[in-house]
Amino acid sequence: MKRIVEVTINGERHELALEPYRSLLDVLRNDVGLTGTKKGCDVGDCGACTVLLDGKPVNSCLVLGVEVGGSEILTIEGLQRGPERLHPLQDAFMRHGAAQCGFCTPGFLMMASALLDENPAPTEEEIRFGIAGNICRCTGYTKIVAAIQAAARDKAEGKA
Amino acid sequence: MSRVGSSIVGTSVKRTDVIGKVTGTARYAGDVKLAGMLHGKMKRSTIAHANIRRIDASRALALPGVKAVLTHENVPRVLHYGAPHPRSISVTCDQYILDRKVRYWGEGVAAVAATSEEIAEEALDLIEVEYEPLPAVFTVEAAQAPGAPQIHETAYAGNVLFKPVVVTRGDVAQGFAEADLVIEGEYETGRPTPAYMEPNVCVCQWDNTGKLTVWVSTQAAFMVRGILAEVLGLPLTRVRVLVDHMGGGFGAKQDLFQHEFLCALLAKETRHPVRMEYTRGETFVGGRSRHPCKIWLKQGFKRDGTIVAREARTVFDSGAYGSHGPGVTIVGTTALTSLYRCENVRLEGRCVYTNAPIAGAFRGYGVVQTYYALDIQMDEAAERLGMDPVELKLKNAVREGDMAPSDHPLVGHGLEDCIRRGAAEVGWAALRQRPREQAGTLRRGWGMGCEMHGSSAYPGIKEQGNAIVKMNEDGTAVLLTGAAGLGTGAHTALAQIVAEELGLAFDAVSVVHGDTDIVPWDIGAFASHTTFMVGRAAQMAAAEVKRQLLQRAGEQLEVAAEDLEVRDGVIAVRGVAGRRITVRECMGPKLGIPAANLVGNGTYTPTKSYSFAAHFVEVQVDIATGQIDVLQVIPVHEVGKVVHPIAAAGQIEGGIQQGIGHTLTEDYVIDPATGRSLNAGFVDYKMPLSLDMPPIRTILLETAPDPGGPYGAKGIGEDPIIAIGPAIANAVHDAIGVRFRHFPITPEQVLAALKEKAGAAA
Amino acid sequence: MRRFEYHEPASLDEASALLVRHGADASLLAGGTDLLVEIKEHLRWPQHVVNVKKIPGLAALEYDERNGLRFGALVTARAIETAAVVRARYAGLAQAARELGSIQVRHRATVVGNICRASPSADTLPPLIADGASVRIHGPAGGRTVALEDFFTGPGRTVLAPGELVTEVVVPPPAPRTGKHYIKHGRRKAMELATVGVAVALTLERDACRDIRIALGAVAPTPIRARAAEAALRGRALDGGTIAAAARTAMGECRPISNVRGSAEYRREMVGVLVARAIERAREGAG
Ligand code: FES
Ligand code: FES
Repeated sequence: MKRIVEVTINGERHELALEPYRSLLDVLRNDVGLTGTKKGCDVGDCGACTVLLDGKPVNSCLVLGVEVGGSEILTIEGLQRGPERLHPLQDAFMRHGAAQCGFCTPGFLMMASALLDENPAPTEEEIRFGIAGNICRCTGYTKIVAAIQAAARDKAEGKA
Repeated sequence: MSRVGSSIVGTSVKRTDVIGKVTGTARYAGDVKLAGMLHGKMKRSTIAHANIRRIDASRALALPGVKAVLTHENVPRVLHYGAPHPRSISVTCDQYILDRKVRYWGEGVAAVAATSEEIAEEALDLIEVEYEPLPAVFTVEAAQAPGAPQIHETAYAGNVLFKPVVVTRGDVAQGFAEADLVIEGEYETGRPTPAYMEPNVCVCQWDNTGKLTVWVSTQAAFMVRGILAEVLGLPLTRVRVLVDHMGGGFGAKQDLFQHEFLCALLAKETRHPVRMEYTRGETFVGGRSRHPCKIWLKQGFKRDGTIVAREARTVFDSGAYGSHGPGVTIVGTTALTSLYRCENVRLEGRCVYTNAPIAGAFRGYGVVQTYYALDIQMDEAAERLGMDPVELKLKNAVREGDMAPSDHPLVGHGLEDCIRRGAAEVGWAALRQRPREQAGTLRRGWGMGCEMHGSSAYPGIKEQGNAIVKMNEDGTAVLLTGAAGLGTGAHTALAQIVAEELGLAFDAVSVVHGDTDIVPWDIGAFASHTTFMVGRAAQMAAAEVKRQLLQRAGEQLEVAAEDLEVRDGVIAVRGVAGRRITVRECMGPKLGIPAANLVGNGTYTPTKSYSFAAHFVEVQVDIATGQIDVLQVIPVHEVGKVVHPIAAAGQIEGGIQQGIGHTLTEDYVIDPATGRSLNAGFVDYKMPLSLDMPPIRTILLETAPDPGGPYGAKGIGEDPIIAIGPAIANAVHDAIGVRFRHFPITPEQVLAALKEKAGAAA
Repeated sequence: MRRFEYHEPASLDEASALLVRHGADASLLAGGTDLLVEIKEHLRWPQHVVNVKKIPGLAALEYDERNGLRFGALVTARAIETAAVVRARYAGLAQAARELGSIQVRHRATVVGNICRASPSADTLPPLIADGASVRIHGPAGGRTVALEDFFTGPGRTVLAPGELVTEVVVPPPAPRTGKHYIKHGRRKAMELATVGVAVALTLERDACRDIRIALGAVAPTPIRARAAEAALRGRALDGGTIAAAARTAMGECRPISNVRGSAEYRREMVGVLVARAIERAREGAG
């Protein structure tokens, strides 16, 4: 039986009729049409589906859609600060070559934005620890770590 | 060809394809959602080798929401190539969409389309399959033993895929007779998988003219089009394949994986669009791995380190289907003619079917396996000869004029340059002299490994790169390319080359790709050839457009086209100040005269260029737990000409991640008794993660440009995964004095080897 | 995922009644990080999923010097990992929480869920057992308390009767000069399932070990105490010799199996190495 769920996604209120056995990931991708959040494993092992649920990074594949009533969700589509204004992390990922195939990128960006919200000046070790649940098969992580460091610096210097 | 002061090629311009990736708007095949779309799922076998005695879909069809079920009884039975390179010797023709027989655990036996994924999944359980078990073989030895079950009727002999490849140069017996030292060893490599992040997926839709449109995650859209048309009996005008972005392939996504055919047929049968998406587990079970390989290698050395003879036998395990088995076997085996020069060589390579998961193309294509053996044996030889391994490898490194595996002479001294530069960078000589830790349980070691790899699949395939460049009336240009965007930044590199050649700003070139109805034919993105081959084709197409452009400008400026040059969007008369016109002015419409339609076509049929690398690695071994950590990697790559430094370094760092995984933690394992998959997921298939990856200090050299590539550029995609493995194994030897000749090297094996060594010493 | 019906009980009694009514067809959902994976991977197919997140009073985490630490069934691993008091007084538990899955997983996964899943390799179990934790259980017949080390009966099996659910974990406060440590052994530095987990909690008196608990994960059908090894050290000085002897004893106490993650022999050997290391680190922590 479908349940009605009211939820705020990227600042917009949605009223959704959901089957209880649909993951938040599938709801976002199929019901809401936000396909930026990716499914790399569907079982919590890769982080490609990371979104912020009330500000906290979670694997949306391991959350049921019916559980998020009353919550605020931020996805990659909502990370940008304005039509022409990227989030400093998005800009840093572009400049530093942190996205190759890009399939892992939305998940990394959401995780990294949660990380910087919590710890604006992380060490390299803290960054590596923070993104340990996000798999990238293309980059070897070097450039992702560099991009997160650069974004943190940019934010600190007020550049972004 | 190359021009001084080139400004765009060699610069890390902002990759045009990345904005969609960081904002979540880039469209991947799995993002396609069409009205009325159904969900397809595949039922997979629970036995490794069997005939299907009976298959009954009636209960599944009765489940509300199920729209169609396909089994071998109602799909076309057409023997086809799984990796459909145009009839090349690299691949085999041994597959059916669904067969009456299954050849590995997890092979697709039926497919369902339903109104939801959940219903499709439930329907799979309702399909009844009765198997008649056949004896199964899971090792190359068992598959070649007398009386082994024959897996394919199409095989060359027994379970041997194709006539074993034999390569001879010089006189091996004579060579060994002259040797002061002969080393012989057996080497074995595991079953790593590419584990790209985007699971295989496709969406199929038929329109009412009978035309099939396919959105698919592939490296080779035209190959998918060709084989779908062939198997489904359609002209090429009725199949359109679309690939916008794709989430990695690393070689494996050159194949078709059953679901592409099934998805098309389900869409046809239901008259609805259908999406079929693999689960992560399925990308292991039904995906492609590297070929597990056994290598017997024997070399003879003179006291001064000169190699006088080399003999090898390689056996590649293809698993249940041939895929790229022949290509991998040939490339991997013939690679042993080179890297370290030797005039007397005898090599034999064979490829064998087993009932294991399918091996396919994977970055490094056979060479990962054989150079692992070769380079480790060189390290061992150095030890036995009392030489520094760097010195021994340098002495024997292939160089200008030596015959490459592809049988044409090498250009330049790239390998020597890499070795020298890396040794200087890490202070190799001093490292060799450093004091060793005695206390505690941690032991450190340094090692180095070398590799070379060809761009393009020549001579196995006479490839062809194509490009079309069109001028717009505002002076900007469009590149049409069939090359896939795997994420390597290839489209950016191609646009850089076109901009460079045309004298336009990088932003003035846009790229159209990913639609087989529009872009020129392309063989697919593999064999490290995109920048090298398609880049050269793009350069040729741009040069052709430039010729037309200067012709037009010459008419406007009333000078001969030969006297004109174009730079930064301005066409000027060479040596005459002030006689100039912008490309925009030249192209634009004049009163009563429309803009010109300038189109350049470039087609390039390359031979092959070789890129080189030496990797220097420091490891730490915990002798109490056997755990090996890689502490740092200094990869030195010679690539002819760097088109985009950041993208190039990114390729190297990513390849090293995969190579470290291969060597230490990654292995796709099957139950040796049943062939059942044991670790089809990211928990137990262990790729190095952010905390496991060491710092990587990449060094790029441009000392041996190849005249066949654009501005001398050569490939880079595959190289980085090859040298890292032997570098690690050699470093482990340096750390603990144990020589491993296989991968992955597990902590348990480290402990066992240490005990054995202690026992031998006692 | 497979289809199921979904319930959001508002009270413990309601939850308990649902569990009784649906019996083996029902599964409890708290964090969901195990349950949803099991459903997706076809290891379980519940017809009814009972989400306990709407039940009030299960989200508290409290500490006082007399009673120690108490936390409810909805407290996440991330909350445990980041709580200052847990880091200060229950270092082994904090470390284990820190190594459970990823940050994303830990924001959802609950420690009580980790307990009730009863996986032999679950990270938080060895340190909680070493800490002497117990669980509060609510059921149709009322409440009861069970020591955590007596809670498990086999892989995935516990003493919970039909309709019972764990509501709270209680962990006694550490005695002065107590040190704790947890070592998880795996091939990678994160995202691992432990091939061996070793937790030690020890209390020093002068130079001797007044009390010690050693708990082992992933080397038996349930997490176990290495009681003989503990006994060998209790009241003794901790030095290289006694520690090594105890570690050897612990090797004899474990009953590991072989699987794709490691052989029984290797696991046993690692128990020896890691018990010694964990004791040494815990001793440093005890000051
Ligand atoms: S898709 Fe959710 S963690 Fe991989
Ligand atoms: S960029 Fe491809 S997986 Fe990360």
